Amino acid sequence: MKRNLLIYEVRLGLVLLVLMAVLTIISPSFLSLTNLSNVIWSVCFIGILSSGAIYPIITGGIDLSLGSLAALSGILVDMFMNRFGINWVVAIVLTVLIGALIGLFNGFIVAKIRVPAFVVTMAAKTYLYGVALVVSNGAMLAILKPKAFIAIGTGRLFNLPNPIYIMLVMVVLSQFLLKQTAFGRKVIAVGANEVAAKLSGIDPDSIRLLSYTLSGATTAIGGVVLASLTQQVFAAAASDIELNVLTALVIGGASLLGGKGSVVGGLLGAMIVAFITNGLNLMNVPAPYHPIVTGSVIILALLMNEGYLVPKKRKKVLGHHQAAA
Amino acid sequence: METEGKSDILLECRKIVKSYNGPIVLEDVNFSVKRGEIHSLVGENGAGKSTLVKIITGAIERNSGDILFKGQALPLQYSRKYAENLGIAVIYQELSLIPGMTVAQNIFLSREPLYPHTRIINKRKMNAMAQELIDRYQFPLKPSDIIDNISIAQRQLVEILKALSGNASLMIMDEPTSSLTRTEVEMLFKIIHTLKSEGISVLYISHRMEEVYALSDRVTVLRDGKLVSVLEKEQINPAEIIRLMIGHKLEENAVYHNLPKIEGRKPVLEVEGLTSVGKFTDISFTLHEGEVLGIGGLVGSGRTELVRALYGIDPYNKGIIRYLGKPWVPSVHASIRSGIGFIPEERRIQGILAPLTIKRNISITNFDRIAPRGVIKNKQEKQLAIDGIRLVNVKPPDPEVVVGNLSGGNQQKVGLAKWLVRSLKLIFIDEPTVGIDVGTKEEIYGHIRTLAEQGVSVILVSSDLPELTRLSDRVLILRKGRIIKEFKECVLTSEKILRAASGILEEYDEA
Amino acid sequence: MSSHVVRWLVLLAIMIVLSLLIALVNPLFLSTGNLMKMLQEASQTGIVAVGFTLVMITAGIDMSIGAIIAVTSMVSINFISYTKLPVAVFVPITLLVGMIAGAFNGFFITRFKLPEFIVTLGTKSILSGLALVIAVKDSMGFVQNVYIQNESYLWFGSQTFGGIYRTTIAFVILGVATQLFLKNTRTGSYIYASGANPNAAKLSGINTERIVFGVYIFSGLCSSIAAIFISSRMMTAMPELGLGQEMDVIASVVLGGTAFSGGSGDIWGTMIGAVFLALIKNGILKLGISPWIQPIVIGGIIVVTVIIDVWQKKISDRLAAKAKLKKLAKASAQSAA
Repeated sequence: MKRNLLIYEVRLGLVLLVLMAVLTIISPSFLSLTNLSNVIWSVCFIGILSSGAIYPIITGGIDLSLGSLAALSGILVDMFMNRFGINWVVAIVLTVLIGALIGLFNGFIVAKIRVPAFVVTMAAKTYLYGVALVVSNGAMLAILKPKAFIAIGTGRLFNLPNPIYIMLVMVVLSQFLLKQTAFGRKVIAVGANEVAAKLSGIDPDSIRLLSYTLSGATTAIGGVVLASLTQQVFAAAASDIELNVLTALVIGGASLLGGKGSVVGGLLGAMIVAFITNGLNLMNVPAPYHPIVTGSVIILALLMNEGYLVPKKRKKVLGHHQAAA
Repeated sequence: METEGKSDILLECRKIVKSYNGPIVLEDVNFSVKRGEIHSLVGENGAGKSTLVKIITGAIERNSGDILFKGQALPLQYSRKYAENLGIAVIYQELSLIPGMTVAQNIFLSREPLYPHTRIINKRKMNAMAQELIDRYQFPLKPSDIIDNISIAQRQLVEILKALSGNASLMIMDEPTSSLTRTEVEMLFKIIHTLKSEGISVLYISHRMEEVYALSDRVTVLRDGKLVSVLEKEQINPAEIIRLMIGHKLEENAVYHNLPKIEGRKPVLEVEGLTSVGKFTDISFTLHEGEVLGIGGLVGSGRTELVRALYGIDPYNKGIIRYLGKPWVPSVHASIRSGIGFIPEERRIQGILAPLTIKRNISITNFDRIAPRGVIKNKQEKQLAIDGIRLVNVKPPDPEVVVGNLSGGNQQKVGLAKWLVRSLKLIFIDEPTVGIDVGTKEEIYGHIRTLAEQGVSVILVSSDLPELTRLSDRVLILRKGRIIKEFKECVLTSEKILRAASGILEEYDEA
Repeated sequence: MSSHVVRWLVLLAIMIVLSLLIALVNPLFLSTGNLMKMLQEASQTGIVAVGFTLVMITAGIDMSIGAIIAVTSMVSINFISYTKLPVAVFVPITLLVGMIAGAFNGFFITRFKLPEFIVTLGTKSILSGLALVIAVKDSMGFVQNVYIQNESYLWFGSQTFGGIYRTTIAFVILGVATQLFLKNTRTGSYIYASGANPNAAKLSGINTERIVFGVYIFSGLCSSIAAIFISSRMMTAMPELGLGQEMDVIASVVLGGTAFSGGSGDIWGTMIGAVFLALIKNGILKLGISPWIQPIVIGGIIVVTVIIDVWQKKISDRLAAKAKLKKLAKASAQSAA
């Protein structure tokens, strides 16, 4: 699997380069700094969220509450800082902790009570949105201070926006956690074959609990960075971002049945989707057509993952879907 | 009333051949069932019984050979529905009923009586028809019972009615009594005789000799994919059947064991009165250092349940276990940490992580070695994989190959390797060589023997009798959850084991 | 069977109690006008939920229902704005569009065995974009709010004697017809079988793929029916219409007792669930509680209901296992004797 996935990520990178080349030909302004910085932000945000959201997916579940939780996190951090006057560092830590707790709560219902993950997290998406409305009073709040906080999202280091660094750090850490630690291996094992994992001494329940907790924590971080960058928070921020994250991860090689996935692949997938949307913008394709394209992209990605459009892949991996059959 | 020879044969199979890209599973098998006859099909695991049945019911295609049903030749390939329409019905252990629906609905699924010229089900008529069938056979059922709420025995009856409502003339039953109580088994026998009196033939497949003996008009014995014998009623006796099932060639597999080497060794596992309600009862034994303890018995006798409880996967109700002399409450985590390993049956479903590489499969039980503080040490992991591969001789010897792509034998070797790289004191092995080629089987036997020589204790569960006799120092026979015999003989033969497992007492021994 | 009826009775009881409590605070709640309005809203969600129930019975899910509502209402608006075709002509065409959308879902799900959840999310994207594309726009390209004046179209969303909305009548008719269909026809039992035990169903000769395909088409049809009634009553339609309905629909179906695992479910439950949900939403408004509580309540209802269902099943499974063990223990004691 490791070798397969590595080749997969390289192939994905090539697709990305080809895509960039095509877009540059179609519209030379593609490579301009102004254009790229438009794209970079959405890639960063999705990258940050993907770094945690991949864990529930690898265990065979899913986390659909990403958007609402991110929005809520922004609202909370603003509330802590500007309504309660808490130090911004403490506020961020508190917010991330709350995100982790919410993830833990979801994970508990999924792992211990055995409710299907998409129901649990879809319901969470709804009620967290409501909570966000209540806490923010339905208003769109502007964040004007503290300056240090705003610098997180808007500041630059070596002429690159901070969020890029944050995203890269999180992606690298998450990829490391997934591929180079016992925990990561256990997550993959639980997704690949829960029974065999259990017989090998792994506790699937606690692995799942931790996965959803991680997802909640990274989503909160993403929400905080979003709030800092856009300098505004409102309940409907990042709504439905889950679909983008899912698309990115699926293109990046994740299987919705679990057992497979790559954070770096997810990042590449996010870039591919972002560039496609950007390309549509540059080609002056009207906004309504964009979701049509992204929707088709995800169906295409699913088809490819199942081996329908790439004849070689079909024969290769006798994945656990077939083993379980 | 006897009519002339040919017309009383309901099903005739001639020279049936089936092979799966190489291994021949059925070789020139001739098989026939007469009208209104109870015919049993017996043979060891792997003899070809279920393949033959699948061919008859249309679930799989035969390579060559003729099948005639009611005198009509059947095509090489046909669907189960086609067979059903002809009158061939089969009742498997995993019943194919629809939960949430009633008895009547299940009986008439896809054949419900409709109001004329509409697609609306005439429920009253359906329930009445169901009631009619129930009354005719006097089954303890109501048409409105919901499948989820009735017992397994009752569900089996529903399956029978389903077959009868489709006008089955051949009813195939595959191990129908495995989940039934004694009373329910008696009831089933009565029903089978009723069917026979109505001219319906029953093809009965079972491991249980006493049932075969009690029911059958004729018995067909298969061995290694070939027809061995067809016994007529007077010739049927359990000991004879077993002898035919096993054959004479296995006298070579009688092994002489040196008992004294076991005596005086330290006990590794002491089990007293272990009971898990519904699974096994009052199991007691002592396992010594370096001993291979075989556990034999028919399918469903509780062997797997026992080792799972000992390893710590499933709980048990009563009993005491001592490991290395100290009181022991098993849990998977504690077992692994304390030098105990486990190779489950159903290697593909339980034993391996198919989408992952050999390296990752071997690491999975060894995080304490390659990731003592949580972070994987790549060099160590690779070395461990190489060591493991070398220990069991996996082909191809490449740690990055996906296990799902390996042959069955090599997959099992990987499953073994992840334990062999640890310092084990005890390992449970459940059906290690199912579906594995002869060469690899011998390799695995070698590893098991080597383990024992190194002082590791092995508990081996197996339905492969030569395997059991060759490897074990001692053999315990389980039957219906209890230990009924312990073989410490110097000469263990497959025949003795199977006889004991089938509950055949000394009175049937040949003079 | 009876456990479902108990559930519905409990829901009805809660509804009655809640109604009385709310009426104490705000007597307007029980006014005929409000009740009719509440039923109308329940019906809008309920019509979609009927189709969704069938999808769930086959153990599937359809996240594109809101987008189908959006796109089909845009189709209607286009017909109204640009053609003089009579209602009797363009309404069936609109319904056909909904069915085609459902067929799109069904195709990818059955032919390629793709996971229902993601496929329908993809369709949702595609169709919501499509809705914007075909939306009627003014000369500057902005989406126009078309006011419907077509009398025969407005008939759908209008009220009849007693103040009952025609939407409610349609809901009742659709619900009853679907329930009767499910319980009394072969295809109905095939739908249950395909969800409860697809392998056994196939062995009995049922074409489970065709069943699932058909179920998604039906779901699309229900969504488009709802779209007509909704846009008719509102006398307009925007391309965002229906987006967000998914949670209301899921809540209704879950309340009614249909399980995600498939093989069970009654339209009666869905209907009661839809009314229950509408009551809660309306009650929140009439009590003067902030409307922001609504998503919390709906999400909370879904989670709590599913948890209760899982617990209930665990308990009944445990009781059944205990009974079985008792029987086995008795039997093994007999055989040992």
